[in-house]
Amino acid sequence: MAIIFYMASAIAVIATVMVITRHNLVHALLYLVVSFLAVAIVFYVLGAPFIAVLEIIIYAGAIVVLLIFVIMMLNLRQESVAQEKQWFSGKIIIGPLILASILLVEMLYILTSGEPAGLSENMIEAKAVGMSLYGPYVLGVELSGILLMSGIVGAYHLGRQKKKVTHRFLEKKEE
Amino acid sequence: MLFLSERKEVVMSREDLLNIVPLFILTSAAILILFSIAIKRNHKVIYVITALSLLADFIFLVTVDTPAKGIIEPLFIFDGFGKFNFGLILITALALTMLSYAYFEQREERKEEYYILLILATLGACTLVISKHFVSLFLGLEILSVSLYSMIAYLRKRKRSDEAGIKYLIMAAFSSAFMLFGMALIYYTTGSMEFGAIASYLAPFSKLPLLMIAGLGFLLIGIGFKLGVVPFHMWIADVYEGAPLPVTSFIATVSKGGIVILLVRFFLQINGHQYTSLVVIFSVVAIASMFIGNLLALQQQNIKRILAYSSISHMGYILVAFLAGGSLGIEAVAFYLVAYFITTVGAFGILTTLSDSQRDAELFDDVRGLFWRRPWTAAIFSAMLLSLAGVPLTAGFVGEFYIVAAGVQGNMWLLVIILVINSAIGLFYYIRIISIMSEKQEAIDRPEVTLKPSVYFISGITIAALVIALFWVGIFPDRLMTLIRFLIFS
Repeated sequence: MAIIFYMASAIAVIATVMVITRHNLVHALLYLVVSFLAVAIVFYVLGAPFIAVLEIIIYAGAIVVLLIFVIMMLNLRQESVAQEKQWFSGKIIIGPLILASILLVEMLYILTSGEPAGLSENMIEAKAVGMSLYGPYVLGVELSGILLMSGIVGAYHLGRQKKKVTHRFLEKKEE
Repeated sequence: MLFLSERKEVVMSREDLLNIVPLFILTSAAILILFSIAIKRNHKVIYVITALSLLADFIFLVTVDTPAKGIIEPLFIFDGFGKFNFGLILITALALTMLSYAYFEQREERKEEYYILLILATLGACTLVISKHFVSLFLGLEILSVSLYSMIAYLRKRKRSDEAGIKYLIMAAFSSAFMLFGMALIYYTTGSMEFGAIASYLAPFSKLPLLMIAGLGFLLIGIGFKLGVVPFHMWIADVYEGAPLPVTSFIATVSKGGIVILLVRFFLQINGHQYTSLVVIFSVVAIASMFIGNLLALQQQNIKRILAYSSISHMGYILVAFLAGGSLGIEAVAFYLVAYFITTVGAFGILTTLSDSQRDAELFDDVRGLFWRRPWTAAIFSAMLLSLAGVPLTAGFVGEFYIVAAGVQGNMWLLVIILVINSAIGLFYYIRIISIMSEKQEAIDRPEVTLKPSVYFISGITIAALVIALFWVGIFPDRLMTLIRFLIFS
């Protein structure tokens, strides 16, 4: 199991470095998904299957939504198919694909090998997470709700109206 | 390690509930405003709800008799120190709400969301001052910062608002990341995220373990950013300048005050004064903050920026009291915070009342000849500036005196001498503003105030109350001192 841990960690690091060095937003997002998947495996191997699943549902899921938003916001009509082909062309996709397939192999190995799943002794099940969240940390959960509320109210206000001038250094370029 | 092993029931006693009601009141106020907006947008109604709920919260905190020390495991502690600062934050938020009304009434944007964010940010700061666990610390800090992002960029039509908001967002997110990593390292070393447990793990060590130093270092980066002390001060001037004036004073007072209290609590609990490495780090930060803050303030041409840089040096002063430690040190921190809050809210409050609907009064030209145009306003502004400079008879003087006393008692001669030198430097730029105000100037065309006078009446009363507090604390500080002593050591 240790080797799986190190491989997944290495993939996470490589993918994240690729994220911050890509120039194209969509390509960066592809690597970001891979990075989240790798982190999920790391969590699983460390004995936190619930967090691993959350990592995929929330983060990787959010990336997919983000991708859709990018396509929506660019508002491409006729040329959108061509654009998409260019974004996901073979040369670009090969890096994330290799990394993702290593992760897939790791996952299949975990599922089929029958070895005890975690590096650590005690696996923390979803039940344990729930028990501590709604037990001693229930006030923390409520505070996170408030945190979300402040985020939503702020986003609603800031996103409501468009602004012409964005930055004092960019003003001249835009004119 | 698991909580499951001993199935712990969470039982909240009546005292616990009473202790936590102030937080509930704030939350309910935010939700009430949300509903009120959903029914009808009315600036005045929402302003009244905000002010009343803050006032009710404060009255509840002061009058309802709760045991001297309540603990809600594992997140919160309600001791005298926490409650004192909780009340201080509430009353400051109330004063800021009062001043905000006239300011936002002039503007055309939607004003109502501001009050929700204000209340939530206050809630975040209040969570900070009573937290004794990294979870509540981080959640409180994030509630505070997330509300502040949008409050800073609130006036979307203004030029610098987005820039300030984005700068704060990036810096705050980055510093939060550092902080989380620091917490992870501390958790890895000590096996706990609760201050008390960390302290008992550290107690046998005379020198900090290496990972612990790294963890604390990362933690201090996060805290240092929020305080705006010197290596992490880059954002302060731009954010102060870009934010609407009431928000600027919120950042200067409530946001920083909450963190200071948290830092004091954490540092005292882990008994940080016995570790030379920590004391050296803080001393360097304090000295650098005092000097760089004051020297940069000397070169500014914008009052908001001057106050921004002066706030850096004031945080340096507070760090001196904090380093002095002991009971006198804590008293000095609490007292100085009160004096600093009164003065800062007052100074920004005056600028708020001078602002017109287009822009904030922040340039020297806005206050040039103010003594001849509006003598009372100018006199009050001068009083606030002199208090910031630490001139006798004002609250700022007593605060600084307290810090010097604490520093002398703690044998921090170097820091005390530097503090005195810096007060002298500070005096120079505060007096420069006053001298500009007293320059005689021919009447220039200024857009007349368009709002009804009753709107300014509320701001006027608030500022009058602040002035009275300023001199009352400055001339009879003993009442406040006894109160602080009573609360902290009860």
